[in-house]
Amino acid sequence: MPFQLSDEQLLTRSAVREFAEAEILPIAAEIDRDHRAPLESIPKMGAQGLLGMIIPEKYEGAGSDYLSYMIAIEEVSRVCGTHGVMIEAHTSLASYPILHFGTEEQKMEFLPDLATGRKMGAFGLTEPEAGSDAANLKTTAVRDGDDWVINGQKIFITGGGYAKTFVVFARTNPDVPSHKGISAFIIDRDTPGFTIGENEQKLGIRGSSTTPLMFSDVRVPNSRMLGQPGQGFEVAMNTLDGGRTGIAAQALGIAQGAFEAALKYAQERVQFGKPLTTKQAIQRMLADMSTDLAAGRLLVYEAADLEDRGEEYAIPAARAKLFCGPMASRVTTQAIQIHGGNGYIMEYPVERMFRDARITEIYEGTNEVQRLVIAKSLLR
Amino acid sequence: MKIVVAYAWAPDPQEASVGADGQVDFSRAKPVVSEYDAVAIEVGRQLATATSSALVGISVGGPATGTPVATKAALSRGLDEVMVASDAALADAGTTRTAQGLAAMVQRLGDVSVVLTGDSSVDSGSRMMPPVLAGLLGWPVLSDVQKVSVTADGVTVERLLREGVQQVSVTGPVVLALASDATQPKAPGMKDVLAAGKKPVTKLEVADLGPAVAEGTVVSTAKLTGPARKGIVINTADPAAAAAELVGALRAAGVIGSTGGQA
Ligand SMILES: Cc1cc2nc3c(=O)[nH]c(=O)nc-3n(C[C@H](O)[C@H](O)[C@H](O)COP(=O)(O)OP(=O)(O)OC[C@H]3O[C@@H](n4cnc5c(N)ncnc54)[C@H](O)[C@@H]3O)c2cc1C
Repeated sequence: MPFQLSDEQLLTRSAVREFAEAEILPIAAEIDRDHRAPLESIPKMGAQGLLGMIIPEKYEGAGSDYLSYMIAIEEVSRVCGTHGVMIEAHTSLASYPILHFGTEEQKMEFLPDLATGRKMGAFGLTEPEAGSDAANLKTTAVRDGDDWVINGQKIFITGGGYAKTFVVFARTNPDVPSHKGISAFIIDRDTPGFTIGENEQKLGIRGSSTTPLMFSDVRVPNSRMLGQPGQGFEVAMNTLDGGRTGIAAQALGIAQGAFEAALKYAQERVQFGKPLTTKQAIQRMLADMSTDLAAGRLLVYEAADLEDRGEEYAIPAARAKLFCGPMASRVTTQAIQIHGGNGYIMEYPVERMFRDARITEIYEGTNEVQRLVIAKSLLR
Repeated sequence: MKIVVAYAWAPDPQEASVGADGQVDFSRAKPVVSEYDAVAIEVGRQLATATSSALVGISVGGPATGTPVATKAALSRGLDEVMVASDAALADAGTTRTAQGLAAMVQRLGDVSVVLTGDSSVDSGSRMMPPVLAGLLGWPVLSDVQKVSVTADGVTVERLLREGVQQVSVTGPVVLALASDATQPKAPGMKDVLAAGKKPVTKLEVADLGPAVAEGTVVSTAKLTGPARKGIVINTADPAAAAAELVGALRAAGVIGSTGGQA
């Protein structure tokens, strides 16, 4: 498949790069060191249109295509993996399901605030006993008059610390097979009975807030159900199909940042009287890294382009994520190797990138889950 | 009333490489709206918004200048419309020919109160364009402009000079060359990128720019050379001795005074 980016896609790349280098790069190391969620970036990213790229203009979004959105995640992640996932989880996991499964009233009520970043969104699916096996979730929603009463707990929710609008999945019918009894709800942070726990301390993407959510008799009106009763699992899986491309783009960007840092270091560092770039062992790593990046980029862009053209993209998205997650781990570890001892200390960015890359093999479906998804499509 | 910004679609200095001989190689640098001209567009945007004027970009250059990606890149920075002349014959046009083309555009647009330019062209750094353009238009020109405000019959500008801040008021139309740090250009937003393709682009032919006058173009042929380096190396094994040696060398060079310091 030949790939020619449009003018708008090319300009999205240069505009986001300019923004990311001016506004995000200067705080990337600090928020990692201090495990600090960069709240000051939210209005800035909102003003730039980065928090509503795939949301139509009608709902105050930018109305960009999906491929431009992937390029934006890639460029932001190139300087900071935390900001990459902040945009991704907000857009792909919280705004997207409202756009695709919401009623017109729900879209008008929630999307403008999300698309502009006036309110951030989060996606609550995972539970202590339901990770890869998400259909096994235990949180319940019981009908009471015109309301649903929600009880249960979620864990590892990206953006929990700062999000206002949560898309949450709960079991509404215990009497049908597990994945058929789940429904999705839009829940406001300030709803009585809804509490948000402490941030997890993490290996990487340390500035992204990851928290548990606790629901104790949380009353949600029926008008806040997203999709039909029992459609929740479908909402979640469809959302994650697109999210996978987003995480693949995050991985790609982190790897790209590490590759550029390694190339520059190799050009400047002199050992045995010559720059590292003169050593074949280093050249070989650089060649492998650039090949990995080129392959990953094609997989991500292909999945996004299929989505833009309204074609089937779930399997290409799973392939992109399955390739790019491990690819980012590979490339960032090679970037450390090229930096030698300096690669292992915090003064250089590659150890942060190495830690940030690792999560892309786990969240929004582990490598193993992507393989299950791909194999199932081959064998059906 | 229109406010005009002259801009160049020029190689990105961030992507240029410096060879062992000190020569800057732009051959592999992708073109962008030159970074100093982005400053002019940003200042122009603020001025145009404050005065409800139209903000028009003008550019004369080689074929790349007129490509859709180039005009959209300029428009995404906040221009309302652009007028470009792009032709192989204009690719390496000297300052005079380029300024002549820009002047022809300003005259064609009409009702122009201010022409803004960047500090200098990033690629050659000659800083000749604004005065030549102003000369052709018969307008005054001010360089090193930090701030601009529009008055009832002209503009008031602040210039940051070595001697201090100078305030100058000009009546009638004027060419203003902005200081490179007059403002920090803002990256285009996602909506700006998408809106760019919907804004008007006027393309002029070489013939529309008028016949080329005899070129009085200055071409710089010599390599840029700074003051010769002395190549003094101070051994830092003993910091105290190294500091004393550095102070001695600076005094000998007349950089710091030889008396009054505390030894
Ligand atoms: C930083 C971070 C942010 C997150 N953000 C969110 C969020 O915003 N919203 C949300 O809902 N969730 C979020 N998660 C949860 C994340 O999606 C899950 O952690 C992930 O899906 C894996 O689930 P688990 O942790 O329960 O692992 P498990 O499912 O227990 O898996 C453990 C191991 O077993 C493997 N495994 C499991 N089942 C199979 C199988 N059938 N075949 C083969 N191997 C299998 C897995 O691949 C993995 O290697 C986040 C997690 C983290 C760490």
